[in-house]
Amino acid sequence: MYNFDVVTPNTIAEAAAAMAGDEAQALGGGQTLIPTLKQRLASPNTLVSLSGVSEMQGITKSGDTLRIGGATTHHAVASDGSYPGLSGLAGQIGDPAVRNRGTIGGSLANNDPAACYPAAALASGATIITNTREIAADDYFQGMFETALEEGEIITAVSFPIPQAANYQKFVQPASRFALVGVFVAKYASGVRVAVTGASNDGVFRWTEAEEALSRDFSAAALEGLSVSEDDMISDLHGTARYRAHLIKVVTARAVTAAS
Amino acid sequence: MSVAKPLPHDAAALHVTGAARYVDDIPTPKGTLHIAFALSDVAHGRLNGLDLTAARAAQGVHGVWSGDDISPMPDCSPSVHDEPLLCTGEVQFLGMPLCMIVADSHLNARRAAALVRADITPAQAILSIEDAMAAKSWFDGGPRVYARGDPDPALKAAPHRLTGAIEMGAQEHFYLEGQAALALPQEGGDMVVHSSTQHPTEVQHKVAHALGVPMHAVRVEVRRMGGGFGGKESQANALAIACAIAAARTGRPCKMRYDRDDDFMVTGKRHDARVAYEVGFDDDGRLLGVRFTHFVRCGWAQDLSLPVADRAMLHADNAYFLPAVEITSYRLRTHTQSATAFRGFGGPQGMLGIERVIEHVAHHLARDPLAVRRVNFYDEAGGASPPGPPRDISEPKRNTTHYGQEVSDFCLGGLVADLEDRAGYGARREAVDAWNAREPILKRGLGLTPVKFGISFTLTHLNQAGALVHVYQDGSVHLNHGGTEMGQGLFQKVAQVAAHRFGVGLEAIKITATDTGKVPNTSATAASSGSDLNGMAVQVACDKIKAAIVDWLGDPQARFVDGMVIAKGEARPFAEVVNAAYQARVPLSATGFYKTPDIAWDRDKGQGRPFYYFAYGAALTEVVVDTLTGENRILRTDIVHDVGASLNPALDVGQIEGGFVQGAGWLTMEELVWDDAGRLRTHAPSTYKIPAASDRPAEFNVHLWDGANREDTVYRSKAVGEPPFMLGMSALMALSDAVAACGDRFPALDAPATPERLLAAIEAVRA
Ligand SMILES: Cc1cc2nc3c(=O)[nH]c(=O)nc-3n(C[C@H](O)[C@H](O)[C@H](O)COP(=O)(O)OP(=O)(O)OC[C@H]3O[C@@H](n4cnc5c(N)ncnc54)[C@H](O)[C@@H]3O)c2cc1C
Repeated sequence: MYNFDVVTPNTIAEAAAAMAGDEAQALGGGQTLIPTLKQRLASPNTLVSLSGVSEMQGITKSGDTLRIGGATTHHAVASDGSYPGLSGLAGQIGDPAVRNRGTIGGSLANNDPAACYPAAALASGATIITNTREIAADDYFQGMFETALEEGEIITAVSFPIPQAANYQKFVQPASRFALVGVFVAKYASGVRVAVTGASNDGVFRWTEAEEALSRDFSAAALEGLSVSEDDMISDLHGTARYRAHLIKVVTARAVTAAS
Repeated sequence: MSVAKPLPHDAAALHVTGAARYVDDIPTPKGTLHIAFALSDVAHGRLNGLDLTAARAAQGVHGVWSGDDISPMPDCSPSVHDEPLLCTGEVQFLGMPLCMIVADSHLNARRAAALVRADITPAQAILSIEDAMAAKSWFDGGPRVYARGDPDPALKAAPHRLTGAIEMGAQEHFYLEGQAALALPQEGGDMVVHSSTQHPTEVQHKVAHALGVPMHAVRVEVRRMGGGFGGKESQANALAIACAIAAARTGRPCKMRYDRDDDFMVTGKRHDARVAYEVGFDDDGRLLGVRFTHFVRCGWAQDLSLPVADRAMLHADNAYFLPAVEITSYRLRTHTQSATAFRGFGGPQGMLGIERVIEHVAHHLARDPLAVRRVNFYDEAGGASPPGPPRDISEPKRNTTHYGQEVSDFCLGGLVADLEDRAGYGARREAVDAWNAREPILKRGLGLTPVKFGISFTLTHLNQAGALVHVYQDGSVHLNHGGTEMGQGLFQKVAQVAAHRFGVGLEAIKITATDTGKVPNTSATAASSGSDLNGMAVQVACDKIKAAIVDWLGDPQARFVDGMVIAKGEARPFAEVVNAAYQARVPLSATGFYKTPDIAWDRDKGQGRPFYYFAYGAALTEVVVDTLTGENRILRTDIVHDVGASLNPALDVGQIEGGFVQGAGWLTMEELVWDDAGRLRTHAPSTYKIPAASDRPAEFNVHLWDGANREDTVYRSKAVGEPPFMLGMSALMALSDAVAACGDRFPALDAPATPERLLAAIEAVRA
């Protein structure tokens, strides 16, 4: 490792102030960032640790909305259960060590194309709340590792409208157990939303044809005539674009069946 | 009685508590230096030069040496001196060591290695089988052909004829303990090397050569490895040589271990291969003529590829009598890591070829593959229990291999019958067929495959071993032999032999590290031969000491049992007798030597009796496949395996379970992927998946076949290291069976049968 400073703010205001410093970077659970630093893919001068910011911790339910602090760990979400589909997803991330450290804010800020949380946020029409504004999930995800976050902006919370039914199905790449294809299906009174992670060169995306079909008929059978184009799918050593495109439909059907 | 007892591994408690010492755990003397290689990132080309300025200036660096700094460049090859320690001009694979960094810590050495800049003019790399065939890039001067008769007339006359090919992937050894070595310079230019190697004598030989000293100036010690699997038969040389030359130059202890990614990038793996076939057969599936072509990708250096590819040819029959057969084997030289020994040593590749042929034939005839297997089995040996079916004695014998060795111990007829019975094959076949008729999405499959594996090194002179046994005056015993311990339990088995000979408990036996200073000129612990060879050598040594004691006691009937020596009608404790013998000036130390009898092999003719005996086994595996995705699971595996009269049933069952899981891993999930530039893209556990405990069959029954070795091996036991690996073929055949249930065509399933490949096969049989 190289030398850097770590600051441990107690409030969002302090954290935001620290982030304004020269080459400062937020530190969530460090599950992605620390390996990145070790490989010198990033080398900020200051890490602003968010784990001590109590305003960013915890999960609160009010009515049909679940608000999760940006520094809340995957383990805390997995154990909560107010939004079972979301808790189910959090419980499938990594291993216990990763879940005890990794945070929802870190995962969404990172927006890895194979990460799980982006699928939940997009399929739930969640709102990403930062120290300066609120961003609708539909506007937030902007491609692989790209988000609407500005320099220094901190995800302080994420607000999820709790659906009538939801499920996340993860088809894992067997070695890393990241999603080769992950699909989150959420059914609201206003309609069904389907978000796919792991598969596309553009990162998480909504499968709108499936949403329309499922909004009419929330059953796996409703997907039968549909297919996903392999054009923008990832092709790598773990799977071809064709295989990923094929899996999206199968995995979506599984999620629908599990949710209904 | 300590032989045949199911005792735990001698170091089991040390393993699970973390107290077992591996090379990297040995406390190093103050001032120890650490070594790392900088690797080529080009598969083939000319090295014009290296910019070492930054690396030399990096923190903690004591020296950076390239091909320009070391002359002559030491060779690491176990065969034909074609493996320079560092690149001397021609870059031969992506991952080839270009220079070595010597620094004050492992991390500083690795950091400096990352600062090395290489100027390489890339050249066209030969990567694939097609590339190599087009360029006639091969070892052994061209293809090697072994044959019995001429298969052409048989193929022409056969009522049925098929052609096909199967691809099988490479496999990373993934020993949990990576490669490691520690060299300690001694007075007068001598060198002591601790190496994680299956072949201490080879390391001694190569280090002596590199240092320009006689072998007596180098002592190599190996207490244990954290797994070897063949990956430390020749691959350990480079680290030991690098440490030794650095230690000689600096006068300081030097240590090296590969980071896991480097281990993947530098070291050889199992040979990937294609086996193409042409087969003629009758209505019963009886094979009349077979022609095989083996395309074996060997990588950049010859290494052990010739004997590996030879063994593939010698196992092209597996358990079946091939009346007319020709096998052509191409040993292809490619610009990739140098493929090397790996459990089975070519046997798996050869055997998978014929097993695929059987499946293809059975599918063509719409017969149960097991029935086709049976009609092609070698003749059951007389006196096998239970006896084989009666045979018409007017029929010619079907008990000679294509290389002229009589199969005199064949027991698979009875063994497979026992397996069918134990596992309920008939009823389960029906149940699986009924399931598949009923279920549209999840398909089940059964695969029952036999194993016949030849035991002995095909290089005849390697079939020798030595031992050194001391009995101290208090009756405790110091045991040493040429075999190495890599988790397989060799040391415990051999200790059981020693304890048995002296009639003492195992607590009286001290197991000690393999040491070239104690037992010289050893063979690699390989070819499954560890217990066969070293157990016998120890037996000989113990018996020499016993003979001296018996002679002194003056009672030729003297017996050593239960810690007592019974002579002249009097029973006295072993320790007491030994002490008295010592005082009477009886020698209490002896060496033992053993060489396998009755083997002879003419490699050029492809004829002889290369194997002392065969080890047998069979596995029945049931799988379920999701036909929407290709995901699959092993539901149940039943194994009956022949270890002769087991020296230690607990260790043998462990080897069988582990062998099966590793074999199934090779064929179903372990996938090494090289890109078009020759870069290995799977070089860490995040990209390369080996089976975990949770991937083993949910129900896993292993039964040891009841029968002693017909040959006079140590306590009539049989070798167990490699043969069970090939039981994993049953998993691939079970997957193929499940795919076959999806359509009419033959699922020409390649390995590894990953979910994506299975899905493609399912689509193909439906087309
Ligand atoms: C072995 C392993 C397995 C894994 N498996 C999975 C998996 O199956 N599925 C999955 O989805 N993920 C997986 N992950 C990733 C894991 O979920 C990470 O925890 C997560 O991606 C990053 O969260 P973090 O809190 O650790 O963030 P950090 O690593 O601390 O930070 C990641 C990035 O986000 C920024 N950041 C952190 N917090 C905030 C914030 N509140 N506001 C703004 N920016 C912030 C950081 O500056 C950094 O750029 C795995 C990780 C590991 C090590």
